Amino acid sequence: MSKNFVLIIYLLCTVALAAQPDTLTIGFGEYHGVMVSASSSHNYPPETTLKQDGYLPNLNASSRFLGQATLGYNMEDLQEVSEMGIEDWIDSQFVKPIPFSLKNKVKDYHNFVKTATNTPAAGQIYRMWSYAWWQYHMASADVLRQRVAMALSELFVVSDKSAFGGNSYALSSYYDVMLNNAFTNYRDLMEDVTFHPAMGVYLTFLNNPKSNPATNQFPDENYARELMQLFTIGTSKLNMDGSYVLGTNGQPIQTYNNTDIAEFAKVFTGLSWADRTTFNRSAANDTSYTLPMIMFNSSHETGVKNLLNGFVVPNRVPTDGIADIQDAISNLFNHSNTPPFVAKFLIQRLVTSNPSPDYIERVANVFVNNGQGVRGDMKAIIKAILLDPEAKSCKSGNDVEYGALREPFVRYVQINKAFDASTASGNYRNDMDYVYRFVQQKPLTSPSVFNFFQQEYQPIGPIEEADLVGPEFQITNAQTIMGYVNSLYRFVIQENVADEYDLYTNEDDATYANEVSTIDLNDEVLLTDNNKLHILLDRLNLLLAQGRLTAPSLAIIKNVVTELPNGTATEKRDRVRLAIYLIMSSPEYLINR
Amino acid sequence: MSKRKISRRAFIGEASCAALGSMTLYNSLVNLGMMTTAATRPHIISTPSDYKAVVCILLAGGADSFNFIVPTETSEYAQYVATRGSLALSNSATPPQLLPLNYNNNGRTFSIHAGMSAVQNMFNTGKLSFVTNIGTLIEPIANKTEYNSGMKKVPLGLYSHSDQIMQWQTSVPQSRSAVGVAGRMADILQDMNSIPEAAMNISLAGKNRWQSGNETNEFSISNSSTAATIGYSNYSSGLSNAVYLNDRKNKALDSLAAQQYANLFHKTIGDLNVTTSESIEVFKVAMSNLVSLTTTFSATNLSNDLKKIAELIKVRSFLGAQRQTFFVSYGGWDHHDDVINNQNVMLPIVSNALNEFNNAMTELGMQDNVVTFTISDFARTLTSNGNGSDHAWGGNSMIMGGPIDGGNIFGEFPSLSLTSPLNLSNRGLLIPTTSVDEFYAEIALWFGVSPNDLSYILPNICNFYSPTCPAPVPSGFMPIGMFS
Repeated sequence: MSKNFVLIIYLLCTVALAAQPDTLTIGFGEYHGVMVSASSSHNYPPETTLKQDGYLPNLNASSRFLGQATLGYNMEDLQEVSEMGIEDWIDSQFVKPIPFSLKNKVKDYHNFVKTATNTPAAGQIYRMWSYAWWQYHMASADVLRQRVAMALSELFVVSDKSAFGGNSYALSSYYDVMLNNAFTNYRDLMEDVTFHPAMGVYLTFLNNPKSNPATNQFPDENYARELMQLFTIGTSKLNMDGSYVLGTNGQPIQTYNNTDIAEFAKVFTGLSWADRTTFNRSAANDTSYTLPMIMFNSSHETGVKNLLNGFVVPNRVPTDGIADIQDAISNLFNHSNTPPFVAKFLIQRLVTSNPSPDYIERVANVFVNNGQGVRGDMKAIIKAILLDPEAKSCKSGNDVEYGALREPFVRYVQINKAFDASTASGNYRNDMDYVYRFVQQKPLTSPSVFNFFQQEYQPIGPIEEADLVGPEFQITNAQTIMGYVNSLYRFVIQENVADEYDLYTNEDDATYANEVSTIDLNDEVLLTDNNKLHILLDRLNLLLAQGRLTAPSLAIIKNVVTELPNGTATEKRDRVRLAIYLIMSSPEYLINR
Repeated sequence: MSKRKISRRAFIGEASCAALGSMTLYNSLVNLGMMTTAATRPHIISTPSDYKAVVCILLAGGADSFNFIVPTETSEYAQYVATRGSLALSNSATPPQLLPLNYNNNGRTFSIHAGMSAVQNMFNTGKLSFVTNIGTLIEPIANKTEYNSGMKKVPLGLYSHSDQIMQWQTSVPQSRSAVGVAGRMADILQDMNSIPEAAMNISLAGKNRWQSGNETNEFSISNSSTAATIGYSNYSSGLSNAVYLNDRKNKALDSLAAQQYANLFHKTIGDLNVTTSESIEVFKVAMSNLVSLTTTFSATNLSNDLKKIAELIKVRSFLGAQRQTFFVSYGGWDHHDDVINNQNVMLPIVSNALNEFNNAMTELGMQDNVVTFTISDFARTLTSNGNGSDHAWGGNSMIMGGPIDGGNIFGEFPSLSLTSPLNLSNRGLLIPTTSVDEFYAEIALWFGVSPNDLSYILPNICNFYSPTCPAPVPSGFMPIGMFS
């Protein structure tokens, strides 16, 4: 192996395309198990070309991978993955630092408004959270963390549809928990979520008192229930491959009953605001949400608590509510359901809606043990998901059951990433209000703790008939389908790609002008002549759809784009815009596979 | 327009492939005299005389409906106070927390939450009734002993939001079925409507189980949609050949969607895109023919949803509609915390919206053609967790409209004692005594579903009228008696 250039065969998965010279569309992008053959005297050192499995992904494969591992990417990102290889790229992402916390960014905006308006008492506003989120995602290089954090925010759901809805400190500091723990351990995540006041308020266990039998008053069951049902183990016992364990009657077995919930509810009593000295007070100020909740042992339910699998929280004297909570978190973290439950969820968010049982089991096994005896290692879990043959194999090209509808909000981020949305100042202020109105999705805006969609949702028609699921179809209706296409009209054809607003009344207009996002189509407008349109479409196909649009779709698009004039710079740009609009509306783009 | 994968005609023709006999599916249509005219029906029909619509209002989150309606007979009220503790509404406070209903059944009297004065008025004038202790059931369960015996089938995922909100919409609590009650009604009755592109089921709340059929999807619309705003965004007329280009652009969108796809995900999103595009054309025309209602609606989302429904009922002839269902969701009822204050804000919104909708139906002369009801995931624990309540089971619904025997309290209002044989825990979780199946059965029969098709709409319904199943629906089947 010492010598020479390795020729990479990446035509293995080639679709039957009409022959097109100059085409970049050369296959689905298999990047697993591809044979490496041949050699020459080319002077590339082997270590730059020969990675992990002995090959490098081609550009389509890189596009496919980045469609799983990021919220959006551009041509340079594709090149980077092709040159580094998948696993090295993942490793490089793991060590990328968190450049700033969203919470501190909100604080900056808040201080900016206080200073600029000379109003020390000026309150925070909701927009600050949106701006902080967008600034982070446009300006930071930790794109894998961003993708995983968003997935986690759809698992450990809190939402602005809640008592703290307008509080930017609550939302930003909660999202920091997702970013901070994307690469730590699932148990750390459970713990940080459990003590975060946004969750405490959202699922009503902040100021949850112990019981008072004299007045028929019992602990609030809300968090106890959803922590089990939605965040860790689910309602039915699971095998490691995600299938149900069946009882003697052939039916699934419940993981817990209502009595179990009442026992867990006892554990989650006594928590309240960290900046209060007594229980059952309201938040002291906006920033109370940035401090983990603390325990008021005098309001914590005493006595034993019978948790799952025979685990008993002892009757601690003196009362130690924090220790009780740690016990309950451990009980669920160590439950045999948690590995397949979390594995399946994350595969569905990142890769495909209906992973095979074997795929789930492979990832669940890594959850149980990262190879060094550690359970819940997020880095190992993420690698197991993204490096799995089922994520990489080009069999998906022919597998009629493979794929996932791209989340509409992710499509929106993709526009901004693929075409390098930028501002004059480098500050990004995006309220994200339009995208929400069009497609009913933006971070932390779920209508309930059940996320925008449920993992087991079955749209009627072929998916349901095959007994498969398609979670994202739950928010895909006439209103949002038309809304999405019309959002493309606004974001792409009109190039109104972000919603910038003032942070305070009469903010300097220059600030506004410097923070308006524009997208970069400079490379694309060079390819709008009729005899180059196929190159333009191939480029966009690669960049947006990992080369998945087939020749008939490209022909439909090309025919319409050709109808537009191609004389002036604006006309050329209009051609590019229409091409993007149509590609991103097409089924072959909308399904990530 | 492209052809659907399975046309409505094909569905009727292929019904023998389904689990049920093909003849049952014909029954509803034959009963209604539809089969002979289906092929020749013109696209725009004159306003049909037997138009019927059902409006489902989902109070999402599990409303604490044992504070919607409260027993006021002395000993029953004392029991209510003892059990509900800090959550009990006062029967003597000023301003009042409860409003009396004009109702007395052998000394049993009731009041409703003071936030619902419009509902009180509609109840007292015979336009609205309550259905009490109703919930999801596979078969009747008489008491706690039967429940614990293991001999009775119990709904999956009791007390879980996702399961119970789904089962209230599917009425199939033994499975996590994708298909709902109104969806199955549409499977059978959609052909009564003359424009296939205009769905029988219309949602103001996006995708929902209730309106998902085996062969029919809901059409989702927003309460802010108008003829001007619905449809594809288009190049402005500033562009020289805008009309031509828009036509080309939109045809390309439709062509991309309508291609033949092998992948099931491609196919599903393609079909949805095609259907959406086709439907919107019809709705755009219908809405452009709207003459505004004179009835005024409050500026709440729920009132605006019901206003949009009233408008769509008004233009029903442009949708070719003889049968329609509408689905609305008003969320935020998961009151683990602060239930009293929250209901004080939210119940007036419900009450006023119901009243306004009733007024609009009267304005349209449709008060005897439309039935409106509320559902929720479940009721909540009778006992308190401080100042909120947790997930329970049986609860209380409202049903409104001219066809309803108004001013009544249907079902069996339960004892609120924690020692009641219906109570399953020290928290106060009641086994329902009326099933969701029985509730929907009456609505479906009124709507035009043949008794022979009832088991397609409600697969468990036989369990509620016969000890052995299957068995034919008894003649005059009216288990609750809601329809006068």
